[in-house]
Amino acid sequence: MNPSEVLDAGAARIADAVRRREVSATELIRASLARIAATDPRINAFTDITAERALGRAAALDSKLAAASVPAPSSYSSLPLAGVPFAAKNLFDIEGITTRAGSKIERDKPPSHHDALLIERMENAGAILVGALNMDEYAYGFTTENSHDGPTRNPHDLSRIAGGSSGGSAAAVAAGQVPLALGSDTNGSIRVPASLCGVFGLKPTYGRLPRTGTYPFVASLDHLGPFARTARDLAIAYDALQGGDPRDPACAQRPVESVAPLIDRGIDGLRIATLGGYFDEHRGPQARAALDHVATALGVDRRIELPGVERARAAAFLISNAEGGALHLPDLRTRAADFEPLSRDRFIAGALLPAAWINTAQRVRHWFARQVAQSMADVDILLTPATPVAATPIGAEWIEIEGRRLPARPSMGILTQPISCIGLPVCAAPVWLPHYRLPIGVQIIAAPWREDLVLRVAQALEAMGVVAAPIASSTTGIGAAA
Amino acid sequence: MTQAEIETYVDAAARVLALPLAPLHRPGVVHYFGLAAAMAEIVGAQQLGLDDEPAPVFVPVSPRAIPLPAAE
Repeated sequence: MNPSEVLDAGAARIADAVRRREVSATELIRASLARIAATDPRINAFTDITAERALGRAAALDSKLAAASVPAPSSYSSLPLAGVPFAAKNLFDIEGITTRAGSKIERDKPPSHHDALLIERMENAGAILVGALNMDEYAYGFTTENSHDGPTRNPHDLSRIAGGSSGGSAAAVAAGQVPLALGSDTNGSIRVPASLCGVFGLKPTYGRLPRTGTYPFVASLDHLGPFARTARDLAIAYDALQGGDPRDPACAQRPVESVAPLIDRGIDGLRIATLGGYFDEHRGPQARAALDHVATALGVDRRIELPGVERARAAAFLISNAEGGALHLPDLRTRAADFEPLSRDRFIAGALLPAAWINTAQRVRHWFARQVAQSMADVDILLTPATPVAATPIGAEWIEIEGRRLPARPSMGILTQPISCIGLPVCAAPVWLPHYRLPIGVQIIAAPWREDLVLRVAQALEAMGVVAAPIASSTTGIGAAA
Repeated sequence: MTQAEIETYVDAAARVLALPLAPLHRPGVVHYFGLAAAMAEIVGAQQLGLDDEPAPVFVPVSPRAIPLPAAE
C-alpha cells in the first residue's frame, strides 16, 4: 500500500503500519497535507495548516522508531495513534496560533502559549496535528456557514452544509483529509455534522473529557469529543483522550476506562429501544427510514417515550442563550457589528434573559435527568436519528418535517439537544440508504459513563454493514482522486 | 408576553446592562427574545419540587498544596 492508501485505511491501520515501519510517519503526514491542499479549496474545512510542526513531529517519531532495535509491536498499547494525522476545531488552543473559535473578534488576541490538553493527549499517543478546522462562530450554530472564513461544504455534495458547529471536523474526516478530528458538542455540534457528513462522532458523558485549553460556549453544557470513519478508530481516539484534569471545574475526574478492548463484545444481552413521542414527531422520512434500518438490524421492537422532552430542549435552549450571551457581553457592548450576523442578535437577546428563567431551566434539566434515569432502569441503549433531515443546501432557511415548516438552522439540533441537556454519552453512526443520495446519522445513547456500550453497538452495526463512513468520492472527485 | 411587552423589556434590560442596541440589530434581538420567552413558557409549565435543585452543583476547591491530615 502506498502512503495515500494507508491514509484512507483509517487510524488503526495507519498506527499499525507506522509501528511496523511499513510506512513512515513523514510519508503519511505528507499524504495528508497533499490531500488537504488538493481538496480543501472546494471544502473549506481547514482554517490553519500546521505543516512545519507536523513534519517536525513526524520526523521525530520516525527517528524514535528507527532507533528501536526491532519494529515496535502492533499492540494497541504501544503508541496507539502512531503517525496518525488529525486536526482540531479552531476553538482548541494550538501553540503559536490564535484561538479564534470561528470569530473575527478573537483574531486580535495573542497566539496560544500551549496546546489544549486533548491535543497534547492525542500527540502523546503518537498522533500528529496537521491543522485547525472551521466552525460556526463561538460554536453557536448547526451549519458552519461562517461569514468570516466562508462556509464549510459537505464533501458528499459541495452545494450543501456540513452541519455544525464542528462542521470542519466532520468534513475533514469525510473527505479523507485526516482519519481523526476533534470537535465540541454543546447542543449537538458533534452529532449534527457527523450525521450530515456521514462519519462517526462521539459525544462522551458530560464531565468525562476535560476541556482545558479550549474556548468555551456554554460551560453548563460543553462537551469535547472525536470524529472518525470507523467505530474502532473512534474508540482508540477516545481512549487516548480520557483522564481527569483539575483545571476543568466540570470534569468528573473519572479514571481512564478503556473501551477499545471491549467494542467487539457484540450486542448480546443489551436491552435496546427506539425513542418515540417527541423524537417521532421531529424526524423526516429519511431519518425515520434510517432508524428503522438500524432497529431492524439489531432486532429491536421496543419503543419507549421519555417524559418532558420538549421541556428539556427548551431548558437547553435558554441555558445556552443566557450563558453564551453573558460570556460575550463585553464584546457585545463594544463590537456587536463584528459578530457573525447569523448569531449576533441571538447572543444579544441571550444576555438579556431574566435570571428566573435560567434558574428554572437548570432545575428542569435536573428533573429531566432523573426522569430519564428512571426510564433507563431496564434499557441499556436508546436509538433515535441525529438530525431530522439530511444536509440542506447552503443558505437554506427552512426545512419541512411532518408537514410543518421549521427554521432550518436551529431545527438541525432538535433531536440532539434534549440528550446533551442531560449529558448522556452518544455515538452518532452514519446510515446510507439505497434510495437516498446523502447519509444521515442515528444516535446510539446510553446511561452516563457507558461510552463502552454506545461504541459496542456502533461496532456491531458496522460489522453488519448497516452503518459506514466511506470517503467522499464519485460525486465531488474528492478523496481517492487526490 | 405581548410584542409591546417584549420590546419594552428588551430596551429596559439593555439599558440596565449598558448594552447599546443598534437600530439594525434591535428587530433581530426582539425576535430572539420572543423565541426565548416562548421557551421559558414551555420550561415554566413543568411542576417542580423543592428537591429539583438546579443542575450545576458547586464543587469547593481545595488548595492542592495542603495535604489532608493523616488518619489517627
